[in-house]
Amino acid sequence: MKKKLFIGVLVLFTCFFLSLYAGQQSPVHGAQKPIVIGGSLPLTGTYSATGKWVERGYQLWAEEINGKGGLLGRPVKLIIYDDKSDAKEAVSLIEKVITVDKADLLLGGYPGTACTAVMPVVEKYKMVYVSMGGHMVSFSQGYTYSFGGPPLMGEWWFVGFFEWMKTVPADQRPKRVAIFTMNNPIGVSFMDSIYKGCKETGMEIVIDEKYNLPLTTADTMIMKAKQMKADLLFASGMFPDGVMTIRACKALDYSPKAIAQGIGSVIPEWTKELGKDGDYVFSGTSWHYKLKYPGNDKVIKAAKDKYKEDEPPLYFGFGYAWMQTLQQGVEGAKTLDQTKIRDWLRSHEVKTIAGNFKFDSKGLPKPFAYLTQVIDGNVELIWPPEMRTHAAVYPKPPWK
Amino acid sequence: MFNTAVVIQSIVSGLLMGGIFALFGVGFSLTWGVMKVINIAHAAFGILAAYIAYWGLVLYGVDPILSLIVSLPVLFFAGLLIHRFLIQPITRSKDIVVASMILTFGLAIILENLMLVAWTSDERLITTSYSSKAIFIGEIIIRVSSLLAFCVSILGIAAIYLFLHKTRTGKAVRATWQDPEGAALQGIKLTRVSMIAFGLALASAGAGGVAMAYMYSFNPPAHNLWLIYLFLVVIVGGVGSIIGSALAGLIIGLITGLSGAFFPQQWINVLLFGLLIVILLIKPEGLFKS
Repeated sequence: MKKKLFIGVLVLFTCFFLSLYAGQQSPVHGAQKPIVIGGSLPLTGTYSATGKWVERGYQLWAEEINGKGGLLGRPVKLIIYDDKSDAKEAVSLIEKVITVDKADLLLGGYPGTACTAVMPVVEKYKMVYVSMGGHMVSFSQGYTYSFGGPPLMGEWWFVGFFEWMKTVPADQRPKRVAIFTMNNPIGVSFMDSIYKGCKETGMEIVIDEKYNLPLTTADTMIMKAKQMKADLLFASGMFPDGVMTIRACKALDYSPKAIAQGIGSVIPEWTKELGKDGDYVFSGTSWHYKLKYPGNDKVIKAAKDKYKEDEPPLYFGFGYAWMQTLQQGVEGAKTLDQTKIRDWLRSHEVKTIAGNFKFDSKGLPKPFAYLTQVIDGNVELIWPPEMRTHAAVYPKPPWK
Repeated sequence: MFNTAVVIQSIVSGLLMGGIFALFGVGFSLTWGVMKVINIAHAAFGILAAYIAYWGLVLYGVDPILSLIVSLPVLFFAGLLIHRFLIQPITRSKDIVVASMILTFGLAIILENLMLVAWTSDERLITTSYSSKAIFIGEIIIRVSSLLAFCVSILGIAAIYLFLHKTRTGKAVRATWQDPEGAALQGIKLTRVSMIAFGLALASAGAGGVAMAYMYSFNPPAHNLWLIYLFLVVIVGGVGSIIGSALAGLIIGLITGLSGAFFPQQWINVLLFGLLIVILLIKPEGLFKS
């Protein structure tokens, strides 16, 4: 009797544990192994403020795709290492992601120096890399697996500005141009679109100088521009030198018809710190939250709901857009085979919140840049006309 | 190509800028001269004072110059504590210069990261009601904020000079710097004097940081850039020389301003650091070190 009872209990327990095991195992069999997408970002150090926004853009995309059932029916898992704002560290980490973590897909890095350093590594491993790139020089090395989707190209920065300028009646356009550009790869990359645009619009370049960072004083530069009666000023710099230039313009009461700035004026601190003095400055960008492409509404909502930001920062949008490009490559190729993803991206159009792109052999879309102008403390879209959120304020009103 | 107005403007802007470099460099020179401590964190403490000024202005509308009432004593006492607990232990080191550089480099990194955690890496700009105001003398302009920062610098340098030359403690600091053993034999407590000198240097870093913030935007990593000018001021002026640092700051400002008027902007650093090499070759102890 006891023996039968023992066997009965044993059978019951066995059935019970088997059912538990089956219960535990069934979702695993049902759900696929996650697709691992890895890379590094500057989460600490000099570029951490921007790097964190790229990370948030990636996370927003991952939450969305997982909410929709995943990529190719599998959930995605992000592995994002901190490269401490060091390009060398970014290279080591991408090697780790590829060889140790065996990531299925790669995440784009930041800033351009890190992307430039990583691009030859991903080429070696034949893995698709969607990022901002490191300007034209990084896309001119014959790499076939890197895509700027969208890129951040200094060489195209003022394309939108000159396209818009061509719509200004010739007699109202500036005639004399002063160019002051930071003496580094970003600053030098700006020159392509400026030279080309000045030539096409018949403007004479009366000053063309580069300055080293950190800029110690902008007074002399602006005094020179004023003396040379330049009515268009290109101050192609970052935030610190950008604000010095604007303050020198105001102090010296130098008010050209237009001031075009490099990178400094598209970051939120420009209007926050400069206030009204930062108004009417033109610049360029590859993404803006007011662009009328599907998906920007979601980015705006996420920035507001999750991060209490009324205006999504630039790199939040970039991060999201790069993942959209990668997603379409994978879904289009219907595989994680990197060469097939690359080939699909090279032969099809991708639709992102920054625009619709077809990539050339360099991995770049057709040259483009949206023209922005700071108006009443907001970065408004001026060009192309179908994206316009505000008419350009031109000529620039005198300083108050 | 340019008329005399450009040249005069360059001189004026250069001198105003140089005066600020001078104040920032004086304290750096003092610790280097008196106790052979090269304080790599000097500029980071300047940034800390700039943040105190910034938040005082943004949150409470306090003028940045008034913020010095808070930041100078805070930094002075911070200097005393740092000297007591970090600098004093390394004075036993065989090579105090190298040991101090490594120690204060670590201190700068810690301070930078604490500021990054507290205030992020967003660029900050001190914008007062007079930030864009200027005094016109013919075609030449003098910006009110630059002039104020310059005045703070002159007052700061004068205060340090008077302290060192007219007060008993100041004279003890100088004696220690000129002949430590002789000063000790005279009953001067070297540790106490060095401690005060360090506190004073950190307070001057604060004043210099606020003066710099009137002209330049800043964020925590900006101290790395500002540090270059500290070395320049001290090497040109001579280690430990207050008047030397003041004059070196003005010379550097003048060269920067004038070279911008006569040469393309990218030549400024070539000329400036070229001058540094020439000075090091001709007078390695600095132009004004007696």
